[in-house]
Amino acid sequence: MIEVKNLVKRYGGFIAVNHISFDAHPGEIVGLLGPNGAGKTTTMRILTGYMPPTSGEVKVAGFDVLNDSMAARQRVGYLPERVPLYPDMSVEAYVLYWARLRRTPNARQRTQQVLEQFNLLDRRKKLVRSLSKGLRQRLGLAQAIVHDPPVLILDEPTIGIDPKQVVEVREVIRNLKTQRTILFSSHILSEVEQLCDRVVILDKGRVVGAGTREILSQQLQAEVKFYVAVNADVDHVHQLLLELPGVINVSSEGPGFVITAADETIRQHIMSAITINQLDLLELRPIDTRLEDIFMQRVES
Amino acid sequence: MRATWLVFRRELGQYFTSPLAYLIAAGFLLLTGVTFNNDLAFSIGYRPVEPALIPNQLATVMILFAPLLTMRLLAEEQREGTLELLLTSPITDTAIVLGKFLSAWTYYSILLALTLIYQIILVQIAFPDLGHTAGAYIGIWLYGGAALAVGILFSALTENQILSAFLATTTLLLLYFGDGLGQIVASAELAQIIFNLTLRGHFIPSFAIGLVRGEDIVYFAGIITLCLFIAIQIVNSRRWR
Repeated sequence: MIEVKNLVKRYGGFIAVNHISFDAHPGEIVGLLGPNGAGKTTTMRILTGYMPPTSGEVKVAGFDVLNDSMAARQRVGYLPERVPLYPDMSVEAYVLYWARLRRTPNARQRTQQVLEQFNLLDRRKKLVRSLSKGLRQRLGLAQAIVHDPPVLILDEPTIGIDPKQVVEVREVIRNLKTQRTILFSSHILSEVEQLCDRVVILDKGRVVGAGTREILSQQLQAEVKFYVAVNADVDHVHQLLLELPGVINVSSEGPGFVITAADETIRQHIMSAITINQLDLLELRPIDTRLEDIFMQRVES
Repeated sequence: MRATWLVFRRELGQYFTSPLAYLIAAGFLLLTGVTFNNDLAFSIGYRPVEPALIPNQLATVMILFAPLLTMRLLAEEQREGTLELLLTSPITDTAIVLGKFLSAWTYYSILLALTLIYQIILVQIAFPDLGHTAGAYIGIWLYGGAALAVGILFSALTENQILSAFLATTTLLLLYFGDGLGQIVASAELAQIIFNLTLRGHFIPSFAIGLVRGEDIVYFAGIITLCLFIAIQIVNSRRWR
């Protein structure tokens, strides 16, 4: 459970976080989105007890991060943007160290468990310095959950690792969801779309959008999009589509067109036009309002 | 306390797996061994072996070695990003600094204890003034602690290990040879005060001649406490940047 109310963080004259509020509940994965400098990492650092808020109320698992810092820290697992490593320790020793520091009961057992969970067991005697980037990421995740925290905070967990391992990490995050509250920040909108139940969009220290994708879509202007590809003269088709009733925009994309319209009836109009003109239809599909559109709309460049 | 112990244990383990630490230990033992050997050679027929031989040598040697032993302790954590994890774990900043300091002091104590071999050798062949030697060893043990504390302070300050070692060495040089300033100061009282602020001032007149004075113990304990306190504040200040 994460509760942030009116959080402000000021560094001297600069306001990094300007009165943001949001919640995250157990069983949820909440994505923290925003351009660089939006305040994502600062917010995460406050949640993990690294730095104190300037003002506002921040509670993690029911404990205030300022007044009950130790209790709050105990209940958080944190993976910073740069996976922190001790190069000269073995994989096992590394995880065990953090397990013990965080008062994990049955630390040794728990370490074995976590290593198995992340497929690191057969490499447990290897030195951390010899691990590949993807493995280091997994190791970082292992240290974040070894003490079984109810809250997980992950700062850009899939940056810089190869696609296969990205899929693995996402799978792992998905599986960690049960009964835990997960907050993770990302630049990769498709990833946030895939993994997150809810999204909080930050820009210049403020919340510029929050909610599930559906809610955010609804908040965008009501619009419908379709992708059409027809095996015919491009200009002819373009002209035809532009003349359809209710059309807002037609733009070419790849071999076809993206039609933006006011409502669903555009589909019937498209079908009619194709049938009447006896055109060879290659593809017709709806396009969901993507997080990218919402993001671009909310965030000023 | 529990966290201090955990940090202490890990760091001490690192001293025994780090190549640099072994190099420092080798250098340490080589220097002291050669010195002892030379003195022993001279002492045959001329004069008794200097009881505080090793401690006296270490007083200057530690100015370089202490920063080398401590330079990685906090600088590396900052650089690797593990300090962020330590600061977000349910442990106090004090535990972090204290655990690391104690590991360095313990490693130094082990090296120091190894030089006691020479005393054992001496006892077999002569009648060394063990009281004198004991006093000197107590002194150099505390002195080493103070030097290591200064080293940790500068390790906390920067993530660059070389810079940390450099600054610490310079500070120790100042603290040691600072009484040179006293030579050019007009007032004799001021010169005496300066002398009493230096490491030399609390080692040469007392421990070096086997004398254990309360005021010297207080001085070294004070330096250790002050440096550790400042180091803890520096670590804490990272939370505000």
